[in-house]
Amino acid sequence: MLKKKKFIIGGVVLALAVAYLGYTGLSNAATYYYEVGELLAKGSAAYGENVKINGQVVTGSLQREEAGRLLAFTMVDTSGNVSLPVVFRGVAPDTFKEGALLVAEGQLLTDGIFQANTLLPKCPSKYEPES
Amino acid sequence: MADIGRISLLLALFAAVYSAAGFFIGAKRGHPGLVRSARNGVLAVCGLATIATASLVYAIVTHDFQLEYVASYTSRDLSLVYLLSTLWAGNAGSLLFWAWLLSIFSAVMVFQRRDTGRELVPYAGSVTMITAAFFFILLLFVASPFQRLSFVPPDGRGLNPLLENPGMFFHPPFLLAGYVGFTIPFGFAVAAMITRRLGDDWIIAVRRWALMAWLLLGIGNLFGAWWAYVELGWGGYWAWDPVENASLMPWLVITAFLHSIMMQRRRGMLKIWNMVLIILAFSLSILGTFLTRSGVIASVHTFAETPLLGTLFLVFIGISLLGSLGLLFYRSDNLKSDAEMESVVSRESTFLLNNLLLVGAAFAVLLGTFFPIISEAVRGVKVSVGPPFFNQVNAPIFLAIILLAGICTLIGWRKASVRNLWHNFFWPLVTVLAIEVFLFIIGIRQWYALIAFAICAFVLATIIYEWFRGTRARHQMKGDNYFRAFWGLIGSNRPRYGGYIVHLAVILMAAGVIGSSLYDASVEATLQPGESVRLQRYILTYDNIDQYETESKQVVSTSLSVYNSGHLLGQLTPEKYFHHNYDQAVSEVAIRSTLLEDLYVILVGWEDTGATSFKVIINPLVSWIWLGGIVFVLGGLLAFWPERRRPASPNDESGRST
Repeated sequence: MLKKKKFIIGGVVLALAVAYLGYTGLSNAATYYYEVGELLAKGSAAYGENVKINGQVVTGSLQREEAGRLLAFTMVDTSGNVSLPVVFRGVAPDTFKEGALLVAEGQLLTDGIFQANTLLPKCPSKYEPES
Repeated sequence: MADIGRISLLLALFAAVYSAAGFFIGAKRGHPGLVRSARNGVLAVCGLATIATASLVYAIVTHDFQLEYVASYTSRDLSLVYLLSTLWAGNAGSLLFWAWLLSIFSAVMVFQRRDTGRELVPYAGSVTMITAAFFFILLLFVASPFQRLSFVPPDGRGLNPLLENPGMFFHPPFLLAGYVGFTIPFGFAVAAMITRRLGDDWIIAVRRWALMAWLLLGIGNLFGAWWAYVELGWGGYWAWDPVENASLMPWLVITAFLHSIMMQRRRGMLKIWNMVLIILAFSLSILGTFLTRSGVIASVHTFAETPLLGTLFLVFIGISLLGSLGLLFYRSDNLKSDAEMESVVSRESTFLLNNLLLVGAAFAVLLGTFFPIISEAVRGVKVSVGPPFFNQVNAPIFLAIILLAGICTLIGWRKASVRNLWHNFFWPLVTVLAIEVFLFIIGIRQWYALIAFAICAFVLATIIYEWFRGTRARHQMKGDNYFRAFWGLIGSNRPRYGGYIVHLAVILMAAGVIGSSLYDASVEATLQPGESVRLQRYILTYDNIDQYETESKQVVSTSLSVYNSGHLLGQLTPEKYFHHNYDQAVSEVAIRSTLLEDLYVILVGWEDTGATSFKVIINPLVSWIWLGGIVFVLGGLLAFWPERRRPASPNDESGRST
């Protein structure tokens, strides 16, 4: 019976260790995910917080500066009503283009511009035609 | 041709339902004739699914654009090989491919010659035929590849140029074949529970199927990793994308299963656990398909959102999961363990720990993947977790798993004595110390890297030490020379030594991942022709930019000379393609790969003034990952290779895997 106890204690310790890893991982890496409109509705409370926003890149708004290293564009809410200027410095994935649905991760700056650190375009037209 | 395809699918559905019922009733009531007839039904399903697949391929190759599927994914300018690959480029086509593979696997399963577990085959056949019927229903009524348009377009939309990569031939079919492969072990597990034949029979029957599915899924993921690495914007070789995670979870669970079945076969332990693992792997593999098709979680792999399809998959997962777990509950009395753990320091406990960690890792991945949905349901806000979460949680778990692979090799079954342990651990630990000193001297100082490399070195040393001892023993006993003795050793227990080779592969890959994630470096620069950028000991000089047209695309090509401490190493030519008939730029990165590190150059953009910007990245040890992939396949094949057939005897050690 003593052995069984040892194994149970071992199992509990292991489970706690994994749970601890998961908990600290979550508290460090969790990011709120908003629609563009939801972020704007938060107003100044949203400044500086690391968030993900979901919307669409407005066709005709994309400007490439510094030979493509700085991108500036406008993201519009999926409802199409509110829009947000976004800047991104770095290399955008190939699937990023005007009209694409986009999840951008970054912070809203106090001047009302969203500074994106990563762009995750999701392109329903990628494997399947838009219907 | 479309009619032939559609009619074949309909007949295949009837045949699958007939077979499923025939197997079950025939086996339950003891009508061998009915079971034989159901077996032929499987053959009919296989033939009909083949005809359906062939007719879709025919429509693709002959440009029958009246078919919506053909018009959506192909175009006249697509070469034959990529035309063939469009079979799995879209939702409906990949479902058909799935159903076709399942029918082939089922036919092989029911007609396979086997020494044990024959009584299980009808029930297993019933389960796989029900699964096949589910897919035929989807193909007929929800996502039909033979859907016609009301008009015939002159040309199709074409394949997304991002998919025009050799990865397209290998990544999707291997992955799908892996997913489909889990159906067979699941079928046997259910069969074992129904018939109460819960001993070794079903384990013996499924070991090679599980191994095959695991190998195919692993290969599929490796091809995917390679593809994502050479294709810009898919986040490097592994990005913890939900769909990648969906394929990793069943793989981890089956990895656990391949280890825990040794516990059941050697010691009669972990019987319920093994059942649970197979049920989980099957459910997770269907879940992976659900994730790609339903669009519930954002991913680079997302197909168009078809909520009905998603719902049906969810219902199917629910039924199979609850049904099989319910059955397991009713049979739990028959699944008592034959033996108890004898010591904490034993090979058994390392296996147990390894299983818990593998399943724990799969659970962490599941939690992270579904966290947006969970948090929305619980707190009403969507919270997503990115790669930092997965890395932070899984890195220690994976390192612990790798460490166990080393410890396990050195510890005997049942109970190990301290004296024995010291004897076994001495040389491997000396090796680790030597390698650590070497790494410290060449400048590896991050404690995390030192620990991780120490673990890899330890496992490597234990495997080589184990092989050396086995070879020497054979040399001394049989008088063979060392080479022959080594060869004989490997051949004496292929599952075991195949397993060791897979462990070697994991170490290689782990070293690649550690090196490339802890020691990567990058720089971005905007250059005029003639200017240079420096990254570590490399200097890249921008020579020129060139534009030219091909039949299907416009190519912007740049050329850089690469110098290493003054020596010219060669040219790199990162490019961008702009296809005429598809709104999608494609970046062709230039990679200079060596065993030590990859120099990875991306063409970012350019201006009329001649200013051109590049991103230069150094990814250390990435080629070790691909090298590990090759070793993984070799080890897996060795373990998979059939043993010589011989009458089974209870004391036959060689048929067992340790």
